[in-house]
Amino acid sequence: MSLYHILFLSFLVFSIGLFGVLSRRHVVGILIGIELMFNAANLAIVGIAWSMGVLTGQIIALFGIAITAAEVAVGLALFLLVERLTNTVYADKIDTMRG
Amino acid sequence: MFKPILLESILLIGILVVFFMDLFLPKSKKIISGIFTLFLLLLLILISVTMDTKGLMFANSFVNDSFSITLKQIFLLATAIATLGSISHAERLLKGREGEYYLLLLFSLVGMMVVVSSRELLLLFVGFELMSIPLYVLSGFSKENPRSAEGAIKIFLFGTVSSALLLLGIGIFFAATGTTLWSPFSVLTGLTDPLGTLALIILLSGFGFKIAAFPFQFWVPDTYEGAPTPFVAFLSVAPKIAGFGILFRFLFEALDPLYINWTLYAFWLAALTMIVGNLLALPQKNIKRLLAYSGIAHIGYILLGLASGSQLGLEMSVFYFVAYLFSNMGAFLVVEVVNRSNGSDELDSFKNLSGRSPFLSLAMLVFLLSLGGIPFLVGFWAKLYIFLAAANSGYFSLVFLGALMTVVALFYYLNVARRIYIDKGTDESKPITLPLSLAVSIGICALLVILLGFYPEGIVTFSQKAISSFADSGVLFQNSLHHALSSMGM
Repeated sequence: MSLYHILFLSFLVFSIGLFGVLSRRHVVGILIGIELMFNAANLAIVGIAWSMGVLTGQIIALFGIAITAAEVAVGLALFLLVERLTNTVYADKIDTMRG
Repeated sequence: MFKPILLESILLIGILVVFFMDLFLPKSKKIISGIFTLFLLLLLILISVTMDTKGLMFANSFVNDSFSITLKQIFLLATAIATLGSISHAERLLKGREGEYYLLLLFSLVGMMVVVSSRELLLLFVGFELMSIPLYVLSGFSKENPRSAEGAIKIFLFGTVSSALLLLGIGIFFAATGTTLWSPFSVLTGLTDPLGTLALIILLSGFGFKIAAFPFQFWVPDTYEGAPTPFVAFLSVAPKIAGFGILFRFLFEALDPLYINWTLYAFWLAALTMIVGNLLALPQKNIKRLLAYSGIAHIGYILLGLASGSQLGLEMSVFYFVAYLFSNMGAFLVVEVVNRSNGSDELDSFKNLSGRSPFLSLAMLVFLLSLGGIPFLVGFWAKLYIFLAAANSGYFSLVFLGALMTVVALFYYLNVARRIYIDKGTDESKPITLPLSLAVSIGICALLVILLGFYPEGIVTFSQKAISSFADSGVLFQNSLHHALSSMGM
């Protein structure tokens, strides 16, 4: 297993996440896509640090995980708010503003 | 010893005070937390002006030089004006939740102060998120308004995707250079590799979301339309300036201009952002959407200063920040007052404003003319100087485009002014009530727009002082198109 395997896997997961964000209709599905993107980035960072033999990457990944958790908390609260106000959780329905 | 983080420390203590105050204040007295926030911000402005807080902290990853101090003063000023404008809004619409509102505003402010000071990518990322997450919450703060929630979802989705991009960019930057720390003296080898170029592109698109440059501007009008207006005044100015602060520090300190040329990207970004912002503002019927698109256009003008890549260009960008701060925040606060009486943000609600409130109409006219770049208001000098800097670097085509777009912009700004002064309103019965806090904040903005228009040297000195720290720390400026063309072998 070399760095390139890890980076390839990470880019693959990142792309899957991005595809999920762009193609999903349910907002929680979009959120899962975003999570995948974050985790792919963390994976890449840890892999790079592993191949260099330093610990910087692991620290960055820990911060990354904590921050992602904070973002997800805010995101879910917003989804709940939107669900309560408009009775829908589908991204294409949450699009009343135009122009 | 803790001198460089003095401002942030005091602000954090103040945030704790606001937090505990919110727990113990009765519901009818929550206005006190707003007034406390205002005094805290004024105290911080006073400290930042009078005390010398320059220095490095945390193993050189946190730097407080004259550039970051200047930007921090701008953020503090923007937050102070937004707080002053929010007091009556919060009392009316956010009953009982005012403490949270100011708390989140202040947390976002800490994040901005950290990002403009960071010379380390992890610190930058943490600061960036500290700045962004409160903005998502505040965008959805009008809990009864479905549009507010919708706008919040949009800024949240775009913002988190950009954060993920940023984290990936940090990873690739780390892979290419072996470090996350940069300084003007370190030459980061490896950035010219394909991997390094990829890192730069991903990082720059992450920052691009925050400043709402061309391909990343979709969330802006929707979020502005839904969010509480005094907060929009803040959102349209402070995070944008913070984004530019990161860009300036990263592009000029971390990258060696001899090897990496990003001015051409900035060139195209500036051109497209100006065109898209101005043209999409034309058909708008809602004043907040109009100001949102015009704000995107202003980002394009500031990018023009960045694209010129010279010391002059950066100085004039800082000048533009100040001009944009007062004109744009003032305009949004006037929108807030009109919304108070009409309950609508449509352009038609401005009909016959001059008959209902001469002071407001005059202030709005001043802001619109300043945004449009009419002499002799501060916005005119801002545009003139930016064009001067761009022409100085050889970007004549962009200057021509910018001037053309200014004419387009004048059309939609004067369209609003026409409604205020010429069109007869259908219902002249509704009088405008102007609360004291909003009157003071609008008055300060209008006064400064006029006064600084007659005395632009003041801000020129202010912005020269800001950028001097780059020159002092040995940053090589890339001057111009000649450099760009020669590095491409043309």
